[in-house]
Amino acid sequence: MTVVVGDRKRQRWVEVAREFWQARSGRIGVIILAFFVILAIAAPLVAGTDYINPVKARAAGLPQWGTPAEVGPLGTDHFRRSVWDQFVYGSRISLLVGLAASFLTILIGSAVGIVSGFVGGKLDSALMRITEWFLVIPFLPLAIVLAAVLGRSLLNMIFVIGITSWPSTARLVRSQVLTLKQRTFVDRSRSLGGSGLHVVRQHILPNVSGLILANTTLAVPISILTETTLSFLGLGNPQTASWGKTLEEAFVNGAIARNAWWYYLPAGVGIVLVVLAFTLIGQTLEQIVDPRLKDRR
Amino acid sequence: MLLVLVLTMMLGASLASATTEEEGVVLRVGLGQPWTTLNVTAGFEVSVYEIWNLQYATLTDKSADDFSTIEGLAESWDASDDGLTYTYTLREGLLWSDDTPLTAEDVAWTINTSRDQGWGNHVATTVNLDAVAIDDRTVEITSLVPDPKLPTMDVYIVPKHIWEPIAPDGEAVTSYEALDGVGSGPFFIEQYEPEQFVRMRANPNYWQGEPAIDTIVFQIFTNADARVAALQAGELDAIHDVAEESMATLDDDPNIVAIAGYQGGFDELAINGGAAEGQPHPALLDPIVRRAIGMAIDKEAVIEDVLAGFGEPATTISPSADPSWVPDIPEDEQIAYDVAGANALLDEAGYLDTDGDGIREMPGGGDNIVLRHGVNTDSNTYPAIGELFPGWMEVIGLGVELNSYDGGQLFEVIIAGDYDTFVWGWTPFVDPDPMLSYFTSAEIGNYNDANWTDPEYDALYEEQKQELDPDRRKEIVHEMLRIMYDAGVYYPIYYSPDLQAYRTDRFEGWVRQPADIGPVMFSNTSPSYFQLQPVGGVVGGGISPLVLIVAGVVVLGVVALVLANAQRKRATADERE
Repeated sequence: MTVVVGDRKRQRWVEVAREFWQARSGRIGVIILAFFVILAIAAPLVAGTDYINPVKARAAGLPQWGTPAEVGPLGTDHFRRSVWDQFVYGSRISLLVGLAASFLTILIGSAVGIVSGFVGGKLDSALMRITEWFLVIPFLPLAIVLAAVLGRSLLNMIFVIGITSWPSTARLVRSQVLTLKQRTFVDRSRSLGGSGLHVVRQHILPNVSGLILANTTLAVPISILTETTLSFLGLGNPQTASWGKTLEEAFVNGAIARNAWWYYLPAGVGIVLVVLAFTLIGQTLEQIVDPRLKDRR
Repeated sequence: MLLVLVLTMMLGASLASATTEEEGVVLRVGLGQPWTTLNVTAGFEVSVYEIWNLQYATLTDKSADDFSTIEGLAESWDASDDGLTYTYTLREGLLWSDDTPLTAEDVAWTINTSRDQGWGNHVATTVNLDAVAIDDRTVEITSLVPDPKLPTMDVYIVPKHIWEPIAPDGEAVTSYEALDGVGSGPFFIEQYEPEQFVRMRANPNYWQGEPAIDTIVFQIFTNADARVAALQAGELDAIHDVAEESMATLDDDPNIVAIAGYQGGFDELAINGGAAEGQPHPALLDPIVRRAIGMAIDKEAVIEDVLAGFGEPATTISPSADPSWVPDIPEDEQIAYDVAGANALLDEAGYLDTDGDGIREMPGGGDNIVLRHGVNTDSNTYPAIGELFPGWMEVIGLGVELNSYDGGQLFEVIIAGDYDTFVWGWTPFVDPDPMLSYFTSAEIGNYNDANWTDPEYDALYEEQKQELDPDRRKEIVHEMLRIMYDAGVYYPIYYSPDLQAYRTDRFEGWVRQPADIGPVMFSNTSPSYFQLQPVGGVVGGGISPLVLIVAGVVVLGVVALVLANAQRKRATADERE
């Protein structure tokens, strides 16, 4: 019996994967994302950490504001640091923060959504009021205040993004759970004596998992952009190279006035591409798991 | 037609604001730092001293060249044999700007009241003094202890007839707005709009005579780029606090001079000396480790890459705006940039990296040595040095954890001692005493941000405070600074200049204090303003050629339009006929 169910599930996923690859947007998204994931993983092979240290860069005689033609693949910044090395290692931070923060967002959002939708009653009202409270507070000021209070570290950044962006996921999951709760198979399971936990695990969770997955992929670009924004405002960890931090330093040190395009362009393009990749993947997934969206395109 | 109307209105407005009869020759100065109050008993920002320097004359003045004590309101003075009492004779016929006579009574009242009520800017000088007005022009000042600062009396003398009613006690006096505009300096406050501007008028009763300029407007532009743009456009005649990256652009303008003025300011890397409750990393209590850290500081890198060249490498702290108070340390005794030497020192002392992670451990194999470095985010410079610091430490095998604070937070962290290192700075007064006092044990938990104490330093501090022989006092001060330098807790990285710029096409006669190296504005006694002269009879606040051209075009345009209109009317009239 379980073997058959497992087979059916696997089959469903294979179908989703095939359908996904057939959609052009999904394919493009995966290819772009794969490029950056490989870049992040292979960072030590294609770049070095030495010239991210301004002291070593100076000792090596690298110039300030070196153009790509003069030095290295992408030139140097105001501190003689290699822009290419910072770009490659920065991709790690952007992806890490993006994924980890999205995971936290979805974890909180799904938990609140499922509990709220399934249990209902007073608990539902209470959880929804909290959710609304987070929804009405302007997101960016809240994130800035939290980041400033907690201090500037990578973990805090992930926490701040996660804690401020879960409410929309919670509402989405809750509404889905509410409709599922009315379905006959849930009633049958209950009348057969299934406990609440059993129903959630066996019937609700599998049916909202597609929605959660699609939502996760759509939360990643928001997390990455938030990380960039907070870093650009000087609230990132000062000791790790991230794309947002590169943009901030380029801006503060007048790279734009100097026309030092090699300083800010790679980070900017990197952010746009990664965000685009996740958005394409997320939208494709959403269309597959939620057939109602299919006709919209 | 509408456009012409708008233009004429704008022109009218600009003509009105440039009215010359009312304000006369106007000098406009742009500055970035607003102040909380103009009240001389309560204000503290660097920028507001400029206003007080102009509004209030002092008993003795300071020379623009080297800060030496020269005559001010007092034309002469005599010392008693024991050196404790000085008798000052005021100039004849001194008047406040409201034509009330300025007498010895004003001087004595200011000194005694500021001492009794603890006025912020006076009390450090007047705390041990007692003043008696002998007659209208003679005041006798007695010090309880030998005081090397005398006969210098550089406290601002305020008009008794204004201040006595509003100063019943030290609490009440600080809330006074001080917009009375009664002063004895070259200019007095005429109008003040908080956070916007202060307008000062020439004082015809100033003892040196009436200044050549009639009005000074200190305009507050908190944005540095806006200040630069206003100077370039000629809306301002001088600006303070120029960003390093703007200096070259301003210097390229033939009508603008950009200067780096030194008056003793410096920024330092401070290492927690361990005198506060919170303790530094145990390794920092070892002088060898502190020395190695000092040898890893690349001062040239900071000056070149962070300050765009505007800074001088520093040795000891500079306790005074006068550079002669800084001791000469022979080059071979200086703690110079030497990474290999620093590594050798640490190796020898047993701080080895036994686990091969690139970071040294305590002798005998302990935890990694990681320093908590406080970054002051109030300026752009300190975070930039904060980028360099982990790199300096990495090459000598020490780890760094950066913690960002604003100035106020960092101050709290320093008082509590919960840090290992930080970078911050000071700007000293002329007399070295205040700066030296900051590193005595009495200042722990207050100004002593080195959290370092030394009994020998404390003893020498007390000695210099009462040493009346200036040469001997300088020797003692040099010795104190040498002790502190060798302790390796406070490494000045560079002496930092005030970056300023002024236009040369409207005024001339800017004075650098001290001579050749100092700033022209916001200096110790602000001597420039009295010396400034309009260039070739150009009237301040006058109409620029551009405005005249625009006015001409507009007038021509209006005439043309009126004529055309008249023409058309006539034409239609003809047709109607």
